Amino acid sequence: MSPPRYGSSFWIALPIGAAVMVFGAIGLIGDLGVGGGVEVGGWLVGADVAHDFVLAPLACLVGAAVARALPRWCRAPTQAALVTSGVLLIVVFPALRGFGRDQVPDNPSVQPLDYTTATLTALALVWAAAGVWLLARLATAGRGRRRPRTRATPGGHPMSQR
Amino acid sequence: MREQTTPRIFTSDLRDERAAALLGVALGVTFTVCFATGVLSHLIQDPPSWFQWPSRPAGLYRVTQGVHVATGLASIPLLLAKLWVVLPKLFAWPPFTSVAHLVERLAIFPLVAGGVFELFTGLADTHLWYPWPFNFRAAHYWVAWITIGALVVHLGAKWATTRAALFAGNSSTDAAAAPTATTSAFDRRTFLATVFAAAGAVTVFTVGQTVSPLRKLALLAPRRPDTGPQGFPVNRTAATAGVVDAARSPGFRLLVDGKVRRKLAFTRDELRAMPQHEATLPISCVEGWSTTQRWRGVRVRDLLDRAGAESGAEVRVHSLQRRRAYRFSDLNRWHAHDPDTLLALEVNGEPLGIDHGYPLRLIGPNRPGVMQTKWVTRLVVR
Repeated sequence: MSPPRYGSSFWIALPIGAAVMVFGAIGLIGDLGVGGGVEVGGWLVGADVAHDFVLAPLACLVGAAVARALPRWCRAPTQAALVTSGVLLIVVFPALRGFGRDQVPDNPSVQPLDYTTATLTALALVWAAAGVWLLARLATAGRGRRRPRTRATPGGHPMSQR
Repeated sequence: MREQTTPRIFTSDLRDERAAALLGVALGVTFTVCFATGVLSHLIQDPPSWFQWPSRPAGLYRVTQGVHVATGLASIPLLLAKLWVVLPKLFAWPPFTSVAHLVERLAIFPLVAGGVFELFTGLADTHLWYPWPFNFRAAHYWVAWITIGALVVHLGAKWATTRAALFAGNSSTDAAAAPTATTSAFDRRTFLATVFAAAGAVTVFTVGQTVSPLRKLALLAPRRPDTGPQGFPVNRTAATAGVVDAARSPGFRLLVDGKVRRKLAFTRDELRAMPQHEATLPISCVEGWSTTQRWRGVRVRDLLDRAGAESGAEVRVHSLQRRRAYRFSDLNRWHAHDPDTLLALEVNGEPLGIDHGYPLRLIGPNRPGVMQTKWVTRLVVR
């Protein structure tokens, strides 16, 4: 990796961004006190550590395992479905565990669904979409072109065999 | 200058500058939108002297807060993907190669920690889940400023690299990700398409909590706009607020006082005997759900006229609630005199249920749900 170079944009942005950060820190301590600021600081460090040393390594390990275990012809749709499933599970996990609902037991309008069924339904839709994509890939593979079918790639991208 | 090396354990060739740049641009957009709509919501709830939020258009807050929550949720896969792409840089050696590089890397801590913190606390708040000891709103708001400050520094540091990566065309950068060199079947386009599809899936499965036609798809949202007492959600029940006895008491009165010529007191029946006005208005929760209902009750401005308040009067609306920050809310002059700002006695043709604010609740256009005070007992004119 070549050493990064810093142009004038960095030296202009640095004092502006630093001032905004200081404004936020002062406001935080002003509203929550030094003790509250320290608590938030602890959660910030915790958020960073939880991502960098728990979630990210876990994702890398799962990704590496999947890449080795799966045959090439079904790898991309499976990986895409796994990524999407993981993200959906993060979004729904408080409801799956009833976190929040347990603090307002007399309010049935919070987390009103059976979230196990709801989550499985959502995941089934994701995997069904991945299945359709896989079939489309296999169908076009024989013609020497593979066209990944996803919303975000209009036109697709021809991929070679290797 | 010395060169940095990253650990060889990271073998994926999806981790290139172009993927980092594209995800960075997407995150720059979603974080900026989230920040702007969040600051706006904060200003509306706690207006400084220079800020007056209008009462029109009636559904504007519903849109800005719906966008706030939706872009925050959609940012989850974008942020995770971006961090995955740049993860090897965390372990690069030596840790920095110049003073500027050190400063830039130090500013990445508040960016990453703040970003993860904001998305996690925001997600938890939509579920009314508060596993931390501090006040959510203050922490979420001020950490947003810290995060955006760090984002400004990061943008300055990466401006040139990002431009180069985005506008280099398909020559050099694409070669690095070309399938010939790849060990996986997952090229950069497939990877980015997956990340954006995941963001789309998050949106599809949650946005129905505020976009009613999509409510059946809101499989992963903590609320359904059509589920709750009288067919729509509540955040705080009467029992939790500790107002059941006071709300049902035959001695209930609505007082109108403060800067008025005549202090007034009304029983619920006397309010029912006044001219009733109907308005179809959204209730738009800060937590991201919203729903439109048909409300019927007494106009606040009619009560102000009866009490002889000045034409530009502002009003503090008090609840029967004794505790909590939202036991009152303020109507600025636009909101106080808007023809659709009501003390509602009915919703959808039924008497207002106790969890929705019986005997009467404030409902007005273009207001956050927490400022649609329930169990109203007093208007103080100011």
